[in-house]
Amino acid sequence: MNVLKVSRWTIAAFVLPCLLLYVILVFVPIIVSFYNGMLDWNGIGTSKFVGLSNFDKMFTNDAYFWPSVRRTFLLAGFSMLVQLPIALFVAILISRYVRKTGFLVSSYFLPVILSVVVIGQLWKTIYNPASMGGMINQILIKLGLDSWTHSWLTEPKVAIYSIILVALWQYLGYHILIQFTGIQNIPADIYEAAKIDGAEGFKADRYITLPLIVPIFKISVVLSFIGSLQSFDLIMVMTGGGPAHATDVISSHMYNMSFLSMKYGYGSAIACFLVVVCLAATLFINLLFNRLDKRFS
Amino acid sequence: MSQSVSITVAKPVAETRRSRFTFTKGIVFAFFGILLVTQLYPLIWLLIYSLKTNEEILSGNFFALPSVWQWSNYSAAVEGGNYWKYLGNSVLVTSVTMVCVILLASLTAFAITRFRWKYGQVVLLIFLLGMMIPMQGTLLPLMIMFKNIDILNTHLSLILPYIAFQTPIAVFILSGFMKTIPQEIEESAIMDGAGVFRIFGSIVLPVSIPPIMTVCILAFINIWNEYIMAATFISAEKLKTLPFGVYSFVSQYSVNYGAIGAFLVLGALPVILIYFLLAEKITKGMVAGAVKG
Repeated sequence: MNVLKVSRWTIAAFVLPCLLLYVILVFVPIIVSFYNGMLDWNGIGTSKFVGLSNFDKMFTNDAYFWPSVRRTFLLAGFSMLVQLPIALFVAILISRYVRKTGFLVSSYFLPVILSVVVIGQLWKTIYNPASMGGMINQILIKLGLDSWTHSWLTEPKVAIYSIILVALWQYLGYHILIQFTGIQNIPADIYEAAKIDGAEGFKADRYITLPLIVPIFKISVVLSFIGSLQSFDLIMVMTGGGPAHATDVISSHMYNMSFLSMKYGYGSAIACFLVVVCLAATLFINLLFNRLDKRFS
Repeated sequence: MSQSVSITVAKPVAETRRSRFTFTKGIVFAFFGILLVTQLYPLIWLLIYSLKTNEEILSGNFFALPSVWQWSNYSAAVEGGNYWKYLGNSVLVTSVTMVCVILLASLTAFAITRFRWKYGQVVLLIFLLGMMIPMQGTLLPLMIMFKNIDILNTHLSLILPYIAFQTPIAVFILSGFMKTIPQEIEESAIMDGAGVFRIFGSIVLPVSIPPIMTVCILAFINIWNEYIMAATFISAEKLKTLPFGVYSFVSQYSVNYGAIGAFLVLGALPVILIYFLLAEKITKGMVAGAVKG
């Protein structure tokens, strides 16, 4: 039980500044967003209440909306099915084979802390045509694979995968670090006991590391899923959603609608969709892992 | 006698194990090496790129070092790109935000964990709920709000939402820590006649330095790198923060490749320097942030 008995005013002085700022700048805007989503408004002139017609248009009559949702989930899928397993594999290998882990882990982690603008521009330069000094195309030409060269960010079919690669590259180190820390927190005596019972090496990983890493793995899954849903800066920096909407995801579509096409009402409707999907996804993943947890224990 | 026996028996076992070890170990370390190259080489490549002339960049010898190191690229970037201005703005915005986040969040966390009142857990829940809200959803309403109260295009329009979006994780980490401070400390402080503010300022806050460091690191990385709000709320050249400055420099100087590379290096440099000094603290802080988030 907390001991400090204080007056209401003291409590208010401690809590209110933070809470008010937070509610006004985070909760109120979301609620306003839901209302704005029902307006036909360009942000400056008079607004007209149009009910749910923005949402109706979004779901049934916007050629770019569903493709942008599909790409968002494509990124999430790649992140969860490619990036996370690789990260787990690397984390297991590091914890088994490396004695001084600091250098390796912090080197892998380095791209995570860099600004997405720097990362995006760096990779834009790497993806440039060979005539503009792009590294990948220059390597391909050196190897005699001229036919494999692409203008990676301007060909509609290739562009989204080029961006996904960068996202996977940047955050791989984050997931390695998280899962590596998780493995290190598994008590060593469990492995020793297993050794006596004859479980060593990959067998120990299968029966000890994997089940015990589930809670930490969940964190990675949530981060990668929510991160993918909110992936935004990288796309804005690298392509802005182009060419011809070929790399639009939900949030970049929302941004372009609100700030470039000046359809504030419609943009708000997309923002609401994003908020709802984020909340639903977090709930869903938590439920899923609770089940998984029960099955393992 | 028994000793010598055990040694002769143990030896061959150890040897075979070691030889098997070296083979798999070799493969594993080769794999680590490849991964190290893929994670770091783009950054090293950028560094070399930033010191080349346009001709060298376009010639296609991406492995080659520059024949003459073009430091002029850096002076072009610093002078043409307002580097110091952007850096100063970033330092200002980030430091003000960090101080406010720590102050506000630790006050709230203190109230949640140490005061005897009914709604502590409710407040904590409100903050937790907010962690799931995507920042992009608030962009448009915030812009209209800031326009109405006339702070759009000032540093305040960045600092306020930055504080708001950093508080949930900060409150969560700090209250998690403050819960563990033994109550005897307060009890004896009350005996000595210390008031609530005194207890907070001279006992709880100094003890909480480790979690405050974690909060600082998380806030620093997030705010220093933030781009979208900066690009949406700020339009005046002299107010831009570093990521936005990097972006505008790149779009303006699209033909001077070396200078672009130099500006990107300069943009990454502050964070990399801090990372070199505090790598372990930063990785630990980021994990703590992820795990508690």
